[in-house]
Amino acid sequence: MASAAAAKVQEVREITRIERIGAHSHIRGLGLDDSLEPRNVSQGMVGQLMARRATGVVLEMIKDGKIAGRAVLLAGQPGTGKTAIAMGLAQALGLDTPFTSMAGSEIYSLEMSKTEALTQAIRKSIGVRIKEETEIIEGEVVEIQVDRPATGVGAKVGKLTLKTTEMETIYDLGNKMIDSLMKEKVQAGDVITIDKATGKINRLGRSFTRARDYDATGSQTRFVQCPEGELQKRKEVVHTVTLHEVDVINSRTHGFLALFSGDTGEIKSEVRDQINAKVAEWREEGKAEIVPGVLFIDEVHMLDIECFSFLNRALENEMAPVVIMATNRGITRIRGTNYKSPHGIPIDLLDRMIIVPTTPYQEKELKEILKIRCEEEDCEMADDALTVLTRIALETSLRYAIQLITTASLVSRKRKSTEVNIEDVKRVYSLFLDENRSSQFLKEYQEDFMFNELPEQAMDVS
Amino acid sequence: MGSEAWLRLIQGAKKTAIIQDGKRKVHFLLEDGREMVEEYHLDTNVLVKRAWKEKGKLGQDVGWLVEIGDPEPKQQDNLEITGIRESSNAPFVTRRLTKTSLEWRIRNLPYPKDVYVVTADNDGTITVRTTNKKYFKKLDVPDLERIGLKPEQERISFTHQFNTLIITYKKPPLLLDLEKKVLNELMQLKSKKEGDVQCPTS
Repeated sequence: MASAAAAKVQEVREITRIERIGAHSHIRGLGLDDSLEPRNVSQGMVGQLMARRATGVVLEMIKDGKIAGRAVLLAGQPGTGKTAIAMGLAQALGLDTPFTSMAGSEIYSLEMSKTEALTQAIRKSIGVRIKEETEIIEGEVVEIQVDRPATGVGAKVGKLTLKTTEMETIYDLGNKMIDSLMKEKVQAGDVITIDKATGKINRLGRSFTRARDYDATGSQTRFVQCPEGELQKRKEVVHTVTLHEVDVINSRTHGFLALFSGDTGEIKSEVRDQINAKVAEWREEGKAEIVPGVLFIDEVHMLDIECFSFLNRALENEMAPVVIMATNRGITRIRGTNYKSPHGIPIDLLDRMIIVPTTPYQEKELKEILKIRCEEEDCEMADDALTVLTRIALETSLRYAIQLITTASLVSRKRKSTEVNIEDVKRVYSLFLDENRSSQFLKEYQEDFMFNELPEQAMDVS
Repeated sequence: MGSEAWLRLIQGAKKTAIIQDGKRKVHFLLEDGREMVEEYHLDTNVLVKRAWKEKGKLGQDVGWLVEIGDPEPKQQDNLEITGIRESSNAPFVTRRLTKTSLEWRIRNLPYPKDVYVVTADNDGTITVRTTNKKYFKKLDVPDLERIGLKPEQERISFTHQFNTLIITYKKPPLLLDLEKKVLNELMQLKSKKEGDVQCPTS
């Protein structure tokens, strides 16, 4: 009983740790039906039908995996769901397809050159599916014993006794393993497998010999035979690693520990060539399979002319992933030159891309999005308050309106109400300025601030 | 693989020998890229250690896999990282060679002698069973596998003392013959006495 309670506490703790609400955590996919037609409101996506439809076509292309090195540009005003579409695409692709997300400014680092950063990003987006033998432990649980220190803090000590029809072995358990055994509610009589490399626990069912313990069984309990032979077995598993991971493992100066510390530095091009040759060899022998993934570069206008010309070349490689870029710029200066170009991207690269435009949301769509966000942020909002918020979103910006959701819900909680009403929204609207009102305010009180300069000159953002 | 194939593999390998601590240590770089180290006792010329350098599928170093001799003293792997490991008093196997036989020692087996059943199996392994269902192990016999032989029941004998089960397998004539040839090959190697010797690794 005590252990069951402990397991419950553990579970709650896990969940609260994981669930922080990000700007796009309400998105679960592209919201398309089987014939790639976008549903109006689905999987957290609202409106933007043309763009989603277009992305759906791109999704099919990626899933086929035949076409390498295409580029897609998502272009649209700020707050029109470009990043949301990219996230939806990542979700729709699933876990097995590598999806690398980066911002254009991430490549500027003192520790590695821009092209190295881009190359690493590209190679992170190509997966290699290989078969590998891993050791698994498969057996029936005889006893699981966890000792907690009397003070309540400090490391737990655990022992797990497993058996097969032929043998029995006692294992020592680490803290993490104890926690996951608790979470899986493993108890004596269960047949489990443990992957030694990853520590993943899989409950196969209950042993037939325990079929008479009625108290512990539910209707959906599956009964399985106690495994035979040795407890430790070698099993072939298929898993996906990215080319970058293979690079790092094989670059002699770092070794695979660099993967965990994150400090990979530059990787020699000879190493990469070797890896490419080896992967090609595996592919011919049928040992490995290439899984081309997606590289998403947000704020792509922050790349400079060198990066663009490098990308031009890199896209021609047959191992290149599908590159999706997003920008909110119009005709602007290409970084690193004095020339202007649409989206701040040189024409020759633009020529290689297919461009998906996103358009500003309509009032109805804004309302829908705000409703979804309210749900995501766990905030109940009255209908009229939502209408007001939609108005605000229409006149200022969607992002500003989303900011007001949680703040308004905090205000409503202060007056011990569970629902956000108009007054709360009005209050936070007056408490927090949006961008327009803020600049209005600055214009009016310009001379009272420090370093105020020419009033008319537009700020240079590029 | 017949006995000739193994002999050819040894002959074709790049070999480096050194005499150290009363042992003749030989490093082999086989033609297929694998690396092996053998250590022979100087006085008896009995193989006391054979280890293979293991490489992961992706080419990362995994470490040395000891086929014969005492296993490398493992640094205590962190239980918090691996999550699970066999209890320190669980049985473990080491292998030895003598002039006439192959030997396995399974330590930490406290049960009396009459519970053990050791049989030669058709799949080329020697299987250890216990009638009290506490221990079960299939032992590979790489020495026999290499020359294409299967273990025979009448050559197996075992004893039990000091919590250790000792299984002895009398070497068949074909194996004795091969070992003599390999040893001859190695005796002709010029071995360096001391100092830093660089073995070729690729």
